[in-house]
Amino acid sequence: MTPQELVVRMLPPFGGWLALAALALPGGSPLRGAAVALFLAAGPGAALVRVCVPAFAARPAEGPVERRDPDFARHSDLLERLMLTLFLSIGAVMLAATVLIATHTFSAQRVLLTLTLLTTLAAFCPPLRASPPARTTPRTPKGSAP
Amino acid sequence: MRPPVTPKERSTPEPTPARDGANTPGGTPETASQSSSPSSSESSSAAHEPVTDLSDLSPVRPGRSALAWPGLPLLAALALWVYAVRHTDVSRLDDYGLVTALHPTFWAGLVVLTAGFWCTVRDPRRPGAWAAAYVLGLLVMERATQAVLYPTPLYAWAWKHDAVIDHLLTAGGLQTADQVGDMAVYDQWPGFFAAQAALVRLLGVESSAMFMAWWPLVSSLMLLLPLLLIYRTFTEDRRLIWTAVWLFYVANWVGQDYFSPQSVAYALHVAVLAVVLRRFGRTAVRCGRPRQAVWTVVITLLITAIVISHQLTPGMLVVCLVALCLSRRYRDWVPVVTTVVIFLAWCLTAALPFLSAAMPDMIRSVGDVGANVETGYGATPTGTGAIATSWAARLLSGSVLLLAAAGVLRQRVLRHRARPLLLIAAAPLPMFAASSYGSEMIFRVLLFMLPGAAFFAAAALLPKVRTLDADAADAADAADAAAQAGAGRPAVPARHGLRRFAAWVPPAALLAGTLAFVPAYSGKDRINYFPPQEVALVRQLFDQAPEGSLVVAANRNYPLAYDSYWSVDHYWFLDDARSHVDRIVRDPAATLATDMAGVDRPARAYFLLTQGQLANSEMNGQLTREQLDRIQDSVAASPRFQLVAENGAGWLYVLKQTGGAER
Repeated sequence: MTPQELVVRMLPPFGGWLALAALALPGGSPLRGAAVALFLAAGPGAALVRVCVPAFAARPAEGPVERRDPDFARHSDLLERLMLTLFLSIGAVMLAATVLIATHTFSAQRVLLTLTLLTTLAAFCPPLRASPPARTTPRTPKGSAP
Repeated sequence: MRPPVTPKERSTPEPTPARDGANTPGGTPETASQSSSPSSSESSSAAHEPVTDLSDLSPVRPGRSALAWPGLPLLAALALWVYAVRHTDVSRLDDYGLVTALHPTFWAGLVVLTAGFWCTVRDPRRPGAWAAAYVLGLLVMERATQAVLYPTPLYAWAWKHDAVIDHLLTAGGLQTADQVGDMAVYDQWPGFFAAQAALVRLLGVESSAMFMAWWPLVSSLMLLLPLLLIYRTFTEDRRLIWTAVWLFYVANWVGQDYFSPQSVAYALHVAVLAVVLRRFGRTAVRCGRPRQAVWTVVITLLITAIVISHQLTPGMLVVCLVALCLSRRYRDWVPVVTTVVIFLAWCLTAALPFLSAAMPDMIRSVGDVGANVETGYGATPTGTGAIATSWAARLLSGSVLLLAAAGVLRQRVLRHRARPLLLIAAAPLPMFAASSYGSEMIFRVLLFMLPGAAFFAAAALLPKVRTLDADAADAADAADAAAQAGAGRPAVPARHGLRRFAAWVPPAALLAGTLAFVPAYSGKDRINYFPPQEVALVRQLFDQAPEGSLVVAANRNYPLAYDSYWSVDHYWFLDDARSHVDRIVRDPAATLATDMAGVDRPARAYFLLTQGQLANSEMNGQLTREQLDRIQDSVAASPRFQLVAENGAGWLYVLKQTGGAER
């Protein structure tokens, strides 16, 4: 693992622990707000996307009929990962908060701690491997059977 | 390269590098610019237009100055906006809302921004980042202006959602109808509110009112990435992509971007569509590469977040996904089944109390299209300003839908290639027959049609997508025309002038739509804005109201209307039967005193009349200003009421109690 990969892998959980530490700052402080908002908007999603990237990349996405720009598909994939980082994070925050509130165990610190622990767990997970392509049995041409 | 999908595509030869050479990355900037710039292609005859389609915008390497000039109109527009917001006074809004209050430089800024965007996005020498910068500029001017101008958050509904978050934080869990009455519905779809409750505590702020004014900007920004991905699935042409994004934002005036569950659920809905359109197609499956199961897991997470947050959005998602299955390219039932299973699971467990109570009404409204699209009492624009801004909104929506229809008819190639988007645009229409959704279904249907409609509307404003077949046909037509001209038929000089005129129509349409957004979106700000005095007056009420008190008001259009709804009751008399409202108008103080009499000590009964209620009643065809003034005068003169507080934004009275419980 290269140092760059290590940074990418550990950045989301680091953001979570940083946000937890930022809770010590006074309420309404911009630093506290930035640390919390940044982690909630990107942390859990970034950790999940990193785990899933090999599986994501196993099959090309649907794209336009015309293929002029060689970088177009790559840029689209990048946008897709950014989008998933954001929306998986939002989804994770909503799900975690809902589960805690439905079980009457809600507190904001618990929501943040839960997400940080899940993000840390995801950072230690190996990347998902792509499922192998479907095995297709070659048809025997008519009349060629022994 | 993706193989041809349909028989038509298979019969259409791919453009060859030789004919497209000027547009490939290897082409020289000069050649690329000449061959692909819209002006050259439009001014020359059809026979000499570059072959292929709208994607003829390959990257080139212009000089730095050429790269940077789009920044000038953008900066000028933003400077005009800053000047405008610093010189706009919102303390006296009239019936046109923000439209007449805005400093004229705001409009100048919008014109400069739109003109700059149109020139930039159509110029192949400009990097795509400039188009993105313009769209961000548009979002700032459209969705951040109110947050900057108004000292308090807009919309009574946003204040209501703030109260729901406060309730969750106070209760620490979900409650039932026995505990919170009708408001229990929010506890049955708590996803958004639970997340916001956590955010309020984590930020360490007093309430979500501290940041909810900025939510329209945040929720609009959330839509940008999924919209881009959806459009990039069907075209490489960044003119089409960014013009569609622009049109989506200017046509999205329906006001569902405020601090609400539907704002997030809608963004998640568009994100699910983006993933399904990109990853659930059959192209790669036909190539023997099955879809990765991880995509099903991804959409399951997103769909679950939608289902736990909002009632209507999962239904809209189901109809969109079913519509997609109508196309061969997306005949994959996994997303539909996933959504239906999660939706049903939630409806039959957590949301069952609400649904079992509401089901009879829901079943009755199925098929009653007339009633479902009808606006209810208290939603009829009244007065010149309200009517004018309502018409601006209708014209804006109608124009975008008409443009979309024109795009579908005119862009034969796109109609074929982007058919799934066409299906998504049409899919919400049957929901008219399903429910009135509190007289809001027409707006919601429009909102869910927009991603697809904006794409085809943008296509109507841009040059035709061309294929080699079409080009050959045009060449034949041109040859025929030349032969006819050679045979002595007179040329048509008017055609050149017509073409020049036609070139101005698309930017004019884009500009008109961009300008029309302001009255459509902000034209009712007199109703939606609550000045700080009004907030202070209502806060004063809740600071002193004992548990079990009753608040009587004309309608619910005031800030903090639902504050402490778990311990304070409300009665909005304009929601009552018309005969009772007439009785209140005839004999206000006595009728209201009777209505408020059933409150036992130590609870109190308050009568609150504020600026927001007056504006809402007047502009939505309920009671007139004179009638409401008469009610206030009657209560003020009545010995049964006592004035508790008064300021420039309203009056607060309490019903006097004598002895024990007053009856």
